[in-house]
Amino acid sequence: MEQLLQHLLNAVVLGGTYALLGIGLTLIFGVMRVANFTHGELYTFGAYMAYALIGPLELNFFVGLAIAVMLGILLGIVIEFMLLRPLQKSDMDTTMLVTIGAWIALQNMELFGWGGVAKSVPHPFPTDPFVIGSVSVAPLRVFVVCVAMVLLVSFYLMINRTTFGIAMRATFQDPEVSSLMGVKINRMFTLTFAIGSGLAASAGALLAPVFVVVPMMGDLVTLKAFAVVILGGLGNIVGATIGGFVLGLAEELGAGYIDSGYRDAMGFILIIAVLLLRPQGLFAPRERTG
Amino acid sequence: MLRVDGLSVKYGAVPALHGVSLEVNEGELVTLIGANGAGKSTMLKAISGLVKYEGEIIFNGESFDNCGPRNVLTMGIAHCPEGRRVFPQLTVTENLLMGAYLRHDRNEVRRDIDAFFERFPRLGERRLQAAGTLSGGEQQMLAITRTMMSRPKLVLFDEPSLGLAPNLVEQTFRFILDIRAKGTTVLMVEQNAFAALELCDRSYLLASGKLVQHGTSSQMLSNPHIREAYLGG
Repeated sequence: MEQLLQHLLNAVVLGGTYALLGIGLTLIFGVMRVANFTHGELYTFGAYMAYALIGPLELNFFVGLAIAVMLGILLGIVIEFMLLRPLQKSDMDTTMLVTIGAWIALQNMELFGWGGVAKSVPHPFPTDPFVIGSVSVAPLRVFVVCVAMVLLVSFYLMINRTTFGIAMRATFQDPEVSSLMGVKINRMFTLTFAIGSGLAASAGALLAPVFVVVPMMGDLVTLKAFAVVILGGLGNIVGATIGGFVLGLAEELGAGYIDSGYRDAMGFILIIAVLLLRPQGLFAPRERTG
Repeated sequence: MLRVDGLSVKYGAVPALHGVSLEVNEGELVTLIGANGAGKSTMLKAISGLVKYEGEIIFNGESFDNCGPRNVLTMGIAHCPEGRRVFPQLTVTENLLMGAYLRHDRNEVRRDIDAFFERFPRLGERRLQAAGTLSGGEQQMLAITRTMMSRPKLVLFDEPSLGLAPNLVEQTFRFILDIRAKGTTVLMVEQNAFAALELCDRSYLLASGKLVQHGTSSQMLSNPHIREAYLGG
């Protein structure tokens, strides 16, 4: 029981960042119909920027994280503008191949720039964990989960309560009719990719001080983000949020009760199960036509 | 008000319209009739900026020059597309807010939305429900009102009666007549030629991307060729 509580707590910490990643990816897929394989590289980029700003450049930890996320947004805009904008009329296979190419290029640039040695990001939090009864959690992880929650709530308010958010969901559902309402579709695509990239970069920047930063870290992240998106149903934002936490939980429980070697396999076991039993995703919307 | 001059549209190498000209005067209700594939919808899409065209479209003295849907809407032309096309996962209210996307007078927008709910109380009850859960007739009323939310001077309707039960078709046409009575000019595509001709002031008949006939509603209704080909003798 005590062990279970500890696993649940860890799952929330992990799940919050998975949710950020999943939302970013599902948003880009839903609005732009792009299966974005650069997603994990944006995560890695956020992590390296956090390292560079807080480590060698000795910026304040919180300022460093914020700037890292902004740089991630900027990189997202550059990718959208240079690689995806010219291919707007192309089919999904083409853009997918292009993002896979960009993934490889970005990863090798990181390897070239930073070398293969793992970097760790210094942080100002005490290392002694908070202990509540039988569970304990490091203050840094509490910070990570709090920021993730704030980002998730802000994102939900943005998408549900603002005119921009309504227009983004409308574009998601019917770009042509949205353009008839006066939505600038090109700008909406750029902003969508920027927001998705920003969410991935924020997950990377947040987890950088928790783990270490290496050039290949994005690979698994991209695949896990796709796992989250498939769990929730392609293009389903609420589904991706819940999917993120489900994946966090599955990994924690799998690692705790089955074998810690299976941690990263849990996501893929989940995908297979979902595709077999409920291929539309766990949380497919209901709708009526006619 | 609207003048279309020698309009041609191609989808890839396939021509959909060649050299069609038409005119809509302020306050009129004009219909485009013709068989499937005659180019009626393409005409509306060219006017609203969804497809690129050759030729000239002039609205209140200003030429469009393929300026795109947003600019066309800003100039005062709104397009209600074929098949209702409400945003299925947005609520009824959010759909209407999208119609008013370019407006900045929030209080007036609220008032317009309330007026719509007063007219269609059933939709008012469902204002927070996803539009995809509404019936076909309700979706059509929503789609028309969403288009009117931008307060256009000219509105383009593409087959508003498509797929609706007869009593709902009548409701839809009444709604459109009402819109015209309130001062908005209407250009409508309708596959039901008889209903379209009964309703309109003037009409244009398209066949295979070309204009074959035009005239007032009574001229068209009494034209033997049209009677035979489109009105069932």
